[in-house]
Amino acid sequence: MALLEVDQVAAGYVEGIDILAGISLRVEAGSVTGIIGPNGAGKSTLLKTIFGFLHPREGRIVHDGREIQRAAPHEIKRLGVSYVPQGANVFAQLTVQENLLLGAWVERGDRGRVGQMLERAYATFPRLREKRRHRATSLSGGEAKMLSLAKELVTDPKLLLVDEPSAGLAPRISTEVYARLVEARARGVTILLVDQNITKAVEVSDYLYVIEGGQVRRQGPQADFADHLRELIRDSLLGA
Amino acid sequence: MAGLLRRLGLCLVAYAALAWVPLVTSEYHTHILVISLYYVILAVGWNLLAGYTGQFSLAHHTFAGIGAYTSALLVQRAGIPILAGVVAGAVAAAAVGYGLGSLCLRMRAIYLALATWAFAESVRLLVTVEYQITRGDLGLAAPLLFGTPRATPYYYLFLGLALGALLVAWQIVHSRIGAYLRAIRDDEEAAATMGVDTFRWKRFAFVVSAVFAAVAGAFQGHYIGLLSPTPMKFNEMATVIIMVISGGLRTFAGPALGAVFIELLSELLRRWGEIRMVLFALLVIAVIRLYPAGLVGLLRAAGARIGARLPALAPLLGVRRPAD
Repeated sequence: MALLEVDQVAAGYVEGIDILAGISLRVEAGSVTGIIGPNGAGKSTLLKTIFGFLHPREGRIVHDGREIQRAAPHEIKRLGVSYVPQGANVFAQLTVQENLLLGAWVERGDRGRVGQMLERAYATFPRLREKRRHRATSLSGGEAKMLSLAKELVTDPKLLLVDEPSAGLAPRISTEVYARLVEARARGVTILLVDQNITKAVEVSDYLYVIEGGQVRRQGPQADFADHLRELIRDSLLGA
Repeated sequence: MAGLLRRLGLCLVAYAALAWVPLVTSEYHTHILVISLYYVILAVGWNLLAGYTGQFSLAHHTFAGIGAYTSALLVQRAGIPILAGVVAGAVAAAAVGYGLGSLCLRMRAIYLALATWAFAESVRLLVTVEYQITRGDLGLAAPLLFGTPRATPYYYLFLGLALGALLVAWQIVHSRIGAYLRAIRDDEEAAATMGVDTFRWKRFAFVVSAVFAAVAGAFQGHYIGLLSPTPMKFNEMATVIIMVISGGLRTFAGPALGAVFIELLSELLRRWGEIRMVLFALLVIAVIRLYPAGLVGLLRAAGARIGARLPALAPLLGVRRPAD
């Protein structure tokens, strides 16, 4: 069953210019679905629209049997959707622990559960435990990226939207980020991954979409793409 | 909970420690201190909104006026007790704050400042023009709370109110809600990503700061005994901003220190008249350039220096908390 269904969605930032031009796709529960495509294809806009920062001009977005295309981000978050934007999305003036708690509090779980969530996050990201009393400003780029992922995973979302997880990171750290994503999937988190790193995206995804000009150009299971990796990369580099 | 009790105890100790002041100062100086404490409440309230939540409202002084006029009018016309009048003033400010917040808080930075400023000026003009109700520039007599214009009893009242305001602000800033507010200031969109209902919590901060101002304004009205639209001019708002910035925006103790410091300085410079505002403007520029953390930053730096020389004192001086 599809956990998320995007149906004929058109959306843009200014009137008259649609970045998403009637795009449709499905994310199966428990899978990693990858979205690749050239710059300006509408990949990030798609995630922002799903998360409610942008409301579609037409079309429907259904999460877990519920239409969410008119909902605000905080409402969508409460339905169990988390969004990890590009870059290190942390609150610089809050401590590492406050950053993690922010997500847990919004869940309104009882105290015990908040403690458990925190404990699990620290078990997964031990470096954050050491720095839990530090302000997030003092973290390195890689640590901040880990924190921005950890603070979304802390609440055990049903669906995780991830935008360019490896952008601007050292290869060793980006490997770790993907490893954490694969782990989360194994725990039952469904992931929608937008990525410029085609090799990595194909490696971790179960199903992929290539989008361009705000529409789906191509789609298929991972095996289809794995065989044509070189060709895909060449196409994306040449913008064809 | 234990923390709250400890801080409550700390407030009582501070109250006791400052209780002797009117016994040794003149009536005039006690009056200046009462006014300082009044500004402490305004500054702490505005810092909660502007410093911790990042929402620059320019209508803070107006809420003090709304509290003062509501209370004085109800006490005078409806004959209700003064304390009930103050509560009514706070409720009125909360309601107006809720409405204004609902209208303006979706706007960003400069637009919020402009909209609240326009609101402040409108209210001031309304109070001036509707003289049948407010007596406009003639001034509205507000019954005195303690039946006397002598400053001493009001000193004890305002000392309690100011410490209470600090305690409430501390509890908010260091709670779950405080983390939401600071997250909103850091990055509003990212806070929404975390599931924080940013609009709702900004409005919460707006209402709380309006209530702080209204309570202070209402009590101050029942101390001075005469209300006029003059303190609803922008000057008053500028004074609060200067106090918060010179004390240390976004620091906890800064606004309180700044309020006392600027009010005392302002009295010292009284004989230079309006030139004071120019001097204050220069002071603010100097603080922003040299010490963005204000007086609190200055004290911290001094504390660190002394702590380095005398390590035994370091734990006393170097108390730094993550949210300060």
